[in-house]
Amino acid sequence: MLQFITHQNDKFTYYTGASAVLRGGCKWVQLRFKEAELHQFISCAEMIKNECKTFGATFIIDDYVEYAKKIASDGVHLGKNDMSIKEARKLLGNNFIIGATANTFEDVENAYSQGANYIGCGPFRFTTTKKNLSPVLGLEGYREIIENMKKNKIDIPIIAIGGILKEDVKQIMQLGVSGIAISGAILNAQDPESETKEFLKLLE
Amino acid sequence: MKIIINSVETQTEALTLASLSKELNLPETGVAVAVNSKMIPRTDWSDFQLTENCDILIIKAASGG
Repeated sequence: MLQFITHQNDKFTYYTGASAVLRGGCKWVQLRFKEAELHQFISCAEMIKNECKTFGATFIIDDYVEYAKKIASDGVHLGKNDMSIKEARKLLGNNFIIGATANTFEDVENAYSQGANYIGCGPFRFTTTKKNLSPVLGLEGYREIIENMKKNKIDIPIIAIGGILKEDVKQIMQLGVSGIAISGAILNAQDPESETKEFLKLLE
Repeated sequence: MKIIINSVETQTEALTLASLSKELNLPETGVAVAVNSKMIPRTDWSDFQLTENCDILIIKAASGG
């Protein structure tokens, strides 16, 4: 599975970037727009949601839990400094997907016990897309987390994230994760639409 | 047939993803389904044929939890 996390650069806005990856066949978009004003976030979310609908893609917003119902996203993604998963679940009920960020096995355990539905686990390697990055995991870090999950019978989809490149995909997937989340590697490519196709091919 | 749902072997009568969704009482919103690592849009569920041993991942809020 491929989740695209929005970003912007010289060539693409949050919306046009998301649009390009949807044309490339990605079926899962997370709107991450940290420095937005509220009205900016909401209008951007509504545009991307409609685009996702057209392509039959799942649409998740990062944070902004209070607005998820208004935006009618499929779910929310919560970072470690956002609202707690329990609180978000109380607000949203059971018809919203809640994803959570984890950097360690303890984070995974905590998110799972609070009722998260998938984990964005990373960072795989150093990336400039995200500020205040946690220590990188590398392949070994994921292996440990997944082993610990098995030992403790924690079964929740893990999406690997953070600086993942095309050449990493096979190795990461072999660890037993459910998918990968990509931002910069697609958006900063010459042609994000065809780059998306290439990532999807590697995930087959 | 035998399929795998979230790493658990499961028997189903369903032949398509749409009928599996009915069988599992999946909600109308807030659910994402991938078959063999590929996310399948809801609009394609009724045409999507399940195959023996296919690996299905359902991401959704656990009911009641």
